[in-house]
Amino acid sequence: MATQTQLVADPKSDPVVEQKLRKLRELYADAPEVGRVALENGLSNLKRELAAATGTQNAGRIGARQGKVSELTGVIPFAKGGAKRLRGLLQALEGNFRGGDAVGTLHDMRFVFLDNDTKLLFATAYDGDWDAYIDDFVTKIPDAMDLLFCNIEGWPGIHSPSAKDFIAKHQIAAEAWYVANPNLTVAETRRLERVGKAVEELLDQIE
Amino acid sequence: MSSVKEPAVGRPSAQAPTLDLHEIQATVLRQRPAPYFGAHVLLHVDDARAGRQFLRRLAPHVDSAAGWRIAANAWLAVGISHSGLEALGVPRESLQSFPEAFREGMAARARQLGDEGVNDPKNWDPPFGSGQVHIGVTAFSDSEEKRRRAVAIAREQWENFSGVRLLAMQNFGAQPGDLNPLGYKDGIDQPAIEGSGVEPLPGQGPHIKAGEFILGYPGEAGVSLPMPQPDVLGRNGTYAGFRKYQSRVGAFNRFLHAHGSTEEERELLAAKLVGRWRSGAPLTLAPDVDDPALGADPRRNNDFGYSNDPGGRQAPLGCHIRRMNPRDTELTRLTDVNLHRLIRRGTTYGPPYDANALSEEGDKVPRGAYFLFISAKAMATIEFLQQEWINDGNFIGIGDERDPIVGLQEEGATFTIPKEPVRRRVHGIETFNVLRGGEYFFMPSLSALRWLGELT
Repeated sequence: MATQTQLVADPKSDPVVEQKLRKLRELYADAPEVGRVALENGLSNLKRELAAATGTQNAGRIGARQGKVSELTGVIPFAKGGAKRLRGLLQALEGNFRGGDAVGTLHDMRFVFLDNDTKLLFATAYDGDWDAYIDDFVTKIPDAMDLLFCNIEGWPGIHSPSAKDFIAKHQIAAEAWYVANPNLTVAETRRLERVGKAVEELLDQIE
Repeated sequence: MSSVKEPAVGRPSAQAPTLDLHEIQATVLRQRPAPYFGAHVLLHVDDARAGRQFLRRLAPHVDSAAGWRIAANAWLAVGISHSGLEALGVPRESLQSFPEAFREGMAARARQLGDEGVNDPKNWDPPFGSGQVHIGVTAFSDSEEKRRRAVAIAREQWENFSGVRLLAMQNFGAQPGDLNPLGYKDGIDQPAIEGSGVEPLPGQGPHIKAGEFILGYPGEAGVSLPMPQPDVLGRNGTYAGFRKYQSRVGAFNRFLHAHGSTEEERELLAAKLVGRWRSGAPLTLAPDVDDPALGADPRRNNDFGYSNDPGGRQAPLGCHIRRMNPRDTELTRLTDVNLHRLIRRGTTYGPPYDANALSEEGDKVPRGAYFLFISAKAMATIEFLQQEWINDGNFIGIGDERDPIVGLQEEGATFTIPKEPVRRRVHGIETFNVLRGGEYFFMPSLSALRWLGELT
C-alpha cells in the first residue's frame, strides 16, 4: 500500500519494474503509433505506478478486492420475458433502492441490458466477502432477491441451497479493479459523515 | 453407580421434544456441569479396520441427548475430522458430500478465519493443523473421579490393539468457581433450540430453528442444509469447531493496571471489555457496580436487551458479549442475528486466573481455554464471526476496532468506551488470547457412529 510505495526510492533501479517495462514494450510493438508514442512519453509516470503495485486480492470465492471493497460482475442470460419485467421493475423504482440501503454493504449496483435484451450485465461494488451475508438475505429480504433474480434464466430461488453456486457460476472476475478509498466501507463512510457533521457543529459553537 | 444430579442450567419445556434426541450426541444439548472436570483426547487412526473397531467399541459409551437433564456419569463426545473420515475408509462420494471448508480443515482456512500473525497455523502447538488429528473424544463430568473413569473407558477401547494412537490429552476444568482463564464466569448465553424440549431461560430469546444446529431439520430459512451422504451418516449429526487459546494473563493484567489506578477502576474496565462483571452480572442490568447475586442467577443474568442502551454507555458497542450476540442492537448491515449463533462448550485448562500475575512470565504459563463451537454450519459461522464480528468493528459502526477478548489486535489498537460528555478511548490493547490450534470435527449421530464402525 501507500507506505510500500515510499520504500522504493529509485524505480529505475528496480529489476522487476524494468522487466515489466520490457514486457510492455513487446506487447505494444504492434500497437497503433499513438499507443507506442504514449508508452514512451508516459514512461516516468508509468514506472512509478509499476513500482507501487502490491498485487491483487481475492474477494471470497471469486472476484477482485482492494482493501475492504470488492467487485462482483456477471453477464447473465435473461429468462423468457425477464428483460421486460426487470426493465419495468427498475423504471418503477426510479433508481430508489431502499433495500440496497438496508443491506449496508452495497456501494453501487449497475444493470445494463445487452445484446438486444437477451443478457444482463450486473456489476456492483460491495464490502467484504460476497457470501458472508447471503444467508441473511435469505431470511431477511427473500422477496426482494427473488423479485430481481427470477428474471434470470435458471434462477433456483433464494431458498435453494444452490443459489450461492448459481451466483458464483455467473460471476466473471474483473481483470482489474481500482478503488480510490479502499478502506472506506459503506458503514465507515456513513460514520465519517456523521462525525464530520458533528465536528462542524462543535466548531460552530466555539466560533 | 452414583447419584443422579441436576445439571447446572436447564429445565424441560412444556412442549414435548420433536427432535430425535436418542440419535443426537448429549453434548449438543447438555450444558457443562458446575463444577466441571474433563479431558480432550486427540487420536490418530493408522489402520482403518482398527479405527472402525475403536468406534464400534466406543459407541455404547457415548450418551444421547435424550437424557440431557440427567447426567449420572461422565459423558463422552466424539468428533471426526475430514482426514479422520478418510483414514476410516469412508467412501469417496461420502467425503465429497461434506462442505468445502470442512474438507479443507481449519488450518487451510486461515485466510477466511483471519488466523494470521501470532494466530497463524504455522505457530500452532502440535498436533493441530498437521492433518494428523483424526478423532477427538471429550469427556465431561462433575467430579475428578468420574472424569478419570470416563477417560479410562475411552482408553480401554484403543489401548489393547494397534492401529489407533494417542496424539495428545489435555485435562480441563477444576478451576475455583469455574472461572475462565481471565477470571470471568463464562458460558452464560447459549442459543435456545426449537424442538429440543429444553425451556429457554429468560432472555435466551425465542427458540432458533433446530436446523441451524443439527442436520436434517429445517433451519431459520425454512429449509434443511445439505447433509453429508448417505442419509444415515448425516442426519442428526452436526459440526464442531475446536479452538485452543492460550491466555496472556500478564498482558491482560498489565493493560488493566495501565488504565486503572484503583481496584474499582480496573474491575470496571474489565467489565467494559466483556459487557459483564467477572461475576457474570451484565453491565446492562448492573451498569455501575457489580451484583454477584445477579451474576449467579441463571434466570436473571441473561434477561436483557440493548434497546435502552443504543449508544453503548452501559455495555460498549464493541464489548465481547455484544459482539457475540448483538441481540436487538441496530447493526450497520442487514443481519439476521439468529443465523450466527453457536452452541459453546468452553473448557478452561491450566492454573486458575491470577490477578497478581503482571510479568511477561505470566503470559507464558500454559493456561487458556479449549472451545467447542457446535452448529450444523459451524465452519461458515465461525468464519463469519471471525471476519465480521470479532476482527472488525464495521458491523456495529465502530470502524476497525476488534473484539477486546478474542480479537487479533494490530499495532496501535484501541477500545472505545462510550461515555458522557466524551467517549474514553483506551490505547494499548493487545491480543490477550492467542490461538494455539484448531480443528473442524463432524459430530455424528449415534446411528452414524455405528455406521462408521461397521464400514467394510
